[in-house]
Amino acid sequence: MTWQFLLDQFAAQFALWWVIWLGILLGIVVGILPGFSPQNTLIMLLPLTLAVPVEQALAFMIALYCANHLAGGVPAILMRIPGSGGAAATTLDGYPMARKGQAQQAIVLSFTASVFGGLITTLATIALLPWLSKLGLYLRSVEMVIIMLFGLTLIAVIAAKDTLKGLIAGFFGLLLGVVGTDHVYSEPRATMGFLELYDGVPLVPALIGLFAVSEALVMIEEKMIVEDDARERAMRASWADTVEGLVITAQKWWHIVWTAFVGLFIGIVPGAGASIAAFVAYQQSRMWSKTPELYGTGIPEGVIAPESANNGVTSGTLVPMMALGVPGGSTAAVMMIVLQYHGMVMGPRLFTTNPELAYGVFVSMAVAYIFMIFTILPLARYMARIVLIETTYLVPIIILVTAVAAFVERQYLFDMGLALIFGIIGYIAHKTNYHVTAMLIGIILGPLFEQYLVRALRLSEGNLMVLFSSPLANVLWGFLVLSLVLPLVRGRMRVNRS
Amino acid sequence: MQKESKAPLGADLVIPALALGFAIYFFFSTADLIWEAKANGVIIGTALVILIAFQVGRIALRVMKGEGDLGFAPLWQPREVVWKRVGLVVTTAAFIAAMPWLGLTLALWLGMLAQLWLIGVRRWKLLFWIPTVTAAAVYLLFIAVLDAGFPHGPIEMLLTR
Repeated sequence: MTWQFLLDQFAAQFALWWVIWLGILLGIVVGILPGFSPQNTLIMLLPLTLAVPVEQALAFMIALYCANHLAGGVPAILMRIPGSGGAAATTLDGYPMARKGQAQQAIVLSFTASVFGGLITTLATIALLPWLSKLGLYLRSVEMVIIMLFGLTLIAVIAAKDTLKGLIAGFFGLLLGVVGTDHVYSEPRATMGFLELYDGVPLVPALIGLFAVSEALVMIEEKMIVEDDARERAMRASWADTVEGLVITAQKWWHIVWTAFVGLFIGIVPGAGASIAAFVAYQQSRMWSKTPELYGTGIPEGVIAPESANNGVTSGTLVPMMALGVPGGSTAAVMMIVLQYHGMVMGPRLFTTNPELAYGVFVSMAVAYIFMIFTILPLARYMARIVLIETTYLVPIIILVTAVAAFVERQYLFDMGLALIFGIIGYIAHKTNYHVTAMLIGIILGPLFEQYLVRALRLSEGNLMVLFSSPLANVLWGFLVLSLVLPLVRGRMRVNRS
Repeated sequence: MQKESKAPLGADLVIPALALGFAIYFFFSTADLIWEAKANGVIIGTALVILIAFQVGRIALRVMKGEGDLGFAPLWQPREVVWKRVGLVVTTAAFIAAMPWLGLTLALWLGMLAQLWLIGVRRWKLLFWIPTVTAAAVYLLFIAVLDAGFPHGPIEMLLTR
């Protein structure tokens, strides 16, 4: 790979600007809507991507995929409704910022963290692709169990204000995550006789119910989303707020870089996804912060960490697909189908037989991120106005449109009903201070944790010591213990000093 | 003398009660399964039951000390929006139930009209235009562009004819 080769690749991708823009616009629309995943959209658009030349199909799919990850943070910030599981952690600080009249800054932070996080990891992937592709081979089920534990410890972090309530919510979510057939014998567990629950509790209706419906039911108590004393500030929002968001981004550049790499490494593992990366990045960001107590009150780091990580995942997910022929996620699997239809064979030989395509995928991603910042950044000011719309008009739109979105992924009316039930549970949890995010972490990470743990135990014939059997696993255990103990030590030191 | 207000702690027991009910259902429904299939759920469920026991004990202690009572006030406060809230849940359930017959677009239009009216919108222009624009946008995106498999009703049939 030479500089000339890379420059030619960039030039070729810039020539496809109109395809990339189409992908970005559609990606933003479906990213904002909860329930619409990029893989669903790509499956629906298969007739289009199979019909056009492979370069155009690829540029379109990549742009849509990246824009989708970016846009999921917008409703998470403005209405506490994550557009996807990867944006659920963004609600923790993004929504409080919006309530304080800082919606525009929060959106700008989300966009810039997403774009620069995605761009940095994409460029790193281009430079380090041969080495990164091998990393996936070292991260096995044992290491994944520990990575899941990083995410699950966020339950304890969230539970900081009322430990017992937080843990009950988290464990309730984990138990709901066990519903469905088990990973070894395919025995249905606690499905209440519903065939629709055999695959487990579907994430999208749970997400919509716990966040969107429940929030709407609470929202009707107030005139607007933004707090009364912050309304004046939100109404005076101008381009200066966008600039302020950019300045904060520049000040927190290191935060964007390291959390993006958390996303990249987690993304490389087949099966791991944006939601895990976002939760782990948020948990790590809080654990290493000098002011962990401010997380959850609406601080920029709480928006940057999950958004940067869930876009860092985008390039990571494609690494095993390109290098090993193993799709890193469901979106990568759909992309692989399209590329194979066009005669491309994924795997290690791709880099020698078709380097234009192998590197072109990541160059296309980098170009999509560059286009995205210019497309979406000017919109932040107008998007932030949503918090000034009266809740009387917003609430029916939120409840009914998100209920519609709950249907889209699996096309069961059952899922719409499930979203409503989760909405009622979420409302009760809101009103009694049982954290819905802790519940959602359990529902998302519970099944994955079980899957990797069962796999590791099967391979070791039930020997728990397998969890300490590799050097990498032991290093990860060390980091996990350190990230749990260090904040306690620092907290104690701070108390002693004061 | 002003009556001292007690914390309504009964509401804090609703989520634990739901969780406990589900844990008990899980234990009974998976009793006959192979250990590997239910191990994870049993461990999580047992931990959950222990946590709930602590929570019940904590609340019982506070009630005995006179710090709180078993009221459910937080769930229906503020009083003036209780019926709006119930109405939103009922109309959403009705919208889901009616969709197979009315189709997505008409059911959404009627559902939105009902919810807007329910939460206090009385200006007929808004009552007409908000549901119409929303239903049209949803129809365009989900049915016309993405063909997402929603039930078709009279409006969809009319538009596809």
